[in-house]
Amino acid sequence: MAEDFLKIQNVSKLYSGVQALDNVSMSIGQGEVHCLVGENGSGKSTLIKIIAGVVTPDGGEIIVRGKSYKNLRPIDSINEGIQVIYQDLSLFPNLSVAENISLNQLIEEKKKIINWKEVKNIASSVLSTIKKELDLNEKVENISIANKQLVAICRALLRNAKLIIMDEPTTAITKKEIDKLLSVILDLKESGISTLFVSHKLSEVLQIAEKVTVLRDGKKVGDYNAGELDYDTLSFYMSGKKIDHSVFDYQERADQKTLLEVKDLSKKGQFEDISFKLRPGEIVGMIGSLGSGRTEVALSLFGLNKPDSGSIYMNGEPVKINSPRKAISLGLCYLPEDRLNQGLFLKQSIQNNVVVTNLRKILTKSKLLNYSKKYEYAKMWVDELNINVPSLEIAVQALSGGNQQRVVIAKWLATDPKVFILDSPTVGIDVNSKSNIHNLIRQLAKKGIGVIMISDEVPEIVHNCNRILVMADGRIIQEVDTVDITEDKLFDLVSSNSKNSEG
Amino acid sequence: MTGTIHKSQIQKVFNQNEAYLSLIIVAYSILVTSLNPSFLSFENLLDLGKSSASMGIMAIGVFVVLLSGGIDMSFTAIAISGQYIAANVLIASGVDNIYFAFLISCLVGLSLGAVNGLIISYFKIPTFIATLGTLNVFHGILLTVVGTKAVNSAQLPDCFKKFGATNVFTVVKPEGGSYGLSIFTVIFIAVALLTWFILTYTQLGRGIYAIGGDMEAAKRSGMNVFNIQFFIYCYVGILAGIAGVLHVSLIRYSNPTYLVGSELSVIAPVVLGGTRITGGSGTVIGTILGVAMITLLNNSLILIGLSSFWQEFFTGVIVAISVSLSSYQIRKSMMI
Ligand SMILES: Nc1ncnc2c1ncn2[C@@H]1O[C@H](COP(=O)(O)OP(=O)(O)OP(=O)(O)O)[C@@H](O)[C@H]1O
Ligand SMILES: [Mg+2]
Repeated sequence: MAEDFLKIQNVSKLYSGVQALDNVSMSIGQGEVHCLVGENGSGKSTLIKIIAGVVTPDGGEIIVRGKSYKNLRPIDSINEGIQVIYQDLSLFPNLSVAENISLNQLIEEKKKIINWKEVKNIASSVLSTIKKELDLNEKVENISIANKQLVAICRALLRNAKLIIMDEPTTAITKKEIDKLLSVILDLKESGISTLFVSHKLSEVLQIAEKVTVLRDGKKVGDYNAGELDYDTLSFYMSGKKIDHSVFDYQERADQKTLLEVKDLSKKGQFEDISFKLRPGEIVGMIGSLGSGRTEVALSLFGLNKPDSGSIYMNGEPVKINSPRKAISLGLCYLPEDRLNQGLFLKQSIQNNVVVTNLRKILTKSKLLNYSKKYEYAKMWVDELNINVPSLEIAVQALSGGNQQRVVIAKWLATDPKVFILDSPTVGIDVNSKSNIHNLIRQLAKKGIGVIMISDEVPEIVHNCNRILVMADGRIIQEVDTVDITEDKLFDLVSSNSKNSEG
Repeated sequence: MTGTIHKSQIQKVFNQNEAYLSLIIVAYSILVTSLNPSFLSFENLLDLGKSSASMGIMAIGVFVVLLSGGIDMSFTAIAISGQYIAANVLIASGVDNIYFAFLISCLVGLSLGAVNGLIISYFKIPTFIATLGTLNVFHGILLTVVGTKAVNSAQLPDCFKKFGATNVFTVVKPEGGSYGLSIFTVIFIAVALLTWFILTYTQLGRGIYAIGGDMEAAKRSGMNVFNIQFFIYCYVGILAGIAGVLHVSLIRYSNPTYLVGSELSVIAPVVLGGTRITGGSGTVIGTILGVAMITLLNNSLILIGLSSFWQEFFTGVIVAISVSLSSYQIRKSMMI
């Protein structure tokens, strides 16, 4: 192989007491597909931001095509042809899809005057490379999280990009779109463009990577050829532990009454005739690709998406859920798909985020906040869920993805729910934390909470649910007990029915 | 997904803030005219165009700052500094030339704006605090170093008065006297057009929208955020300088204690015009409509015979309502 495109030497970064990176070196060859893996908080995004010139390392050197940079700025990195899809996407919510996609190219070309025709042309030509259509005039703040990810991906696929870095670009998009993206990556490779890819979906990693670099706690574990790895060894390198392959064993109790019942719930253009029951202690999986109506149903149950018809019963009583407040008072809670925007107050402390759903419990007699109670309460949940944080005072923003997700779960558990709806609870979460979160969910079910788990990952559903609702085009096309189906069969069922359901 | 399309359609209708505002302006004009028929005369409208120009130009400046996610509280001090220094320099030098007056006032505006820009982009102080500070500093320096004595109409160089009376075209009334389209209005329109062009067709202008949308994302995409912010505050400074000259030419009197204190009445029309106070969203047309609405309101209250204290009250009420409406819309669009 030719000379390395990028070399990183002895890079370190200390964040207020956290050694995010510790003396890390790696290199990326030309046209190489390189994956960076590691648990949540192992320093992957930090490393990427350093390569992008967004974060200045405490020490070390970045060498791009033989040129050494001590103080790399974003514009230098862009001029070297490095394009980054950030984990938080870093889009401009107030600008149109077209402008978001073409902005980087216009900056790169040092355009002073904007030609709006060109803006649209750039955007539609990039969109066509991933065979996707989006409303170019729509503001990015109004599009779905999956489409936002696609916009961020498109933005990086510039004409003169030499290295495209993707920090978990596929958490929200459908299998079909992921496949398209992976084939784009292979095309890029053909034309000599390198890719650095971060993902927690290890099967994806093993499918496309040539080289894999593993980070753990800010230190490099090693560089491997993808050929010498399999799922279990890779996850072992990441966590230093063997992962737990156990499954949910549901003990049916004959006397259990129905906790939640949904009858013929319909909403035009979203879902039709949704009926199912949930008993205490059950984990019911709702699987279906994006656009199958699963999230819309969940939002309806949580009072955020008024259905046109149908009825909902809690403990046999008919209920009308017209607001999240009502839903919470009935004992329902909802972990949103898009945790960054909908589940957390990112700039607020961990403590504040945990207590926000349940301020009542931490008031003094005169209805003012009791600070020591607040701290204890938050601490209790943080300990209960094993959230690994240096202090309860730091902003949630600074936590790794897995820990952020646990904070959201803690926040909802604090409301003492009877029914917990989890929408894609382990998106962007490393294998080890993922199995921890799965264990946590199973424990909740053991305690008698009824859980609805929405996911498009077949193994996640099969390992954790006792009953599965398969959704496609807004309908439940099949309801099965998990013991009666195999992963392969479920996979076929889901993928053969996802043809009409594009985001 | 059909749900998304549906939502965005609603939003396209709802975000027509400008359409609403135009409707309200028309309806309100009809109402006022029915109470006082002289209101909707061509003469009165042209007159409004003239008297609102200086506030309008400052509003455009404020609009640009708000768009970038910042706020400028010091522009009134800049405007009055430019005006007062220009008037004094003209008197002292004996040069009686309006271009020279504009040159001085704009230079003062540019320098003070640059100070704001440097403080904000270099020291990264929140814009509100930085400009609230410089408001007092600029004004304090003006009063202590340049002076506190007002320049009265007799002392004021003739060029200001001539300029204030310049019309682009003039209509002679049959009953005597005349009125016309003031050069002030033309300057206001030119400033609005220039600003619209910068914001819509230049990379710099898009950068202003971008940093208002997400500052961190703007940095990451390699934009020179420092330069963009510096430009914004210099631009506001220059506009304030222009507005200062228009102001003195209109009232034929320069008092260094004028203007300062009226910041909110300039920010009000901008917010009313649909500019999001958190940045990233707003239009020049909206700002012009906002200026029109406030001008209309102030003028009509006088025509109806209400005291000018009511103006402040109504301005406050209108701004409160429009801000609540727009934040309600934002909340609705974000669902939670
Ligand atoms: N701005 C910041 N301030 C303080 N600490 C930070 C900041 N950014 C990251 N960290 C800390 O640095 C460590 C590495 O974070 P980083 O985001 O690089 O992890 P990651 O590998 O990308 O994790 P994930 O898989 O969850 O995205 C974490 O412990 C995180 O809490
Ligand atoms: Mg990360």
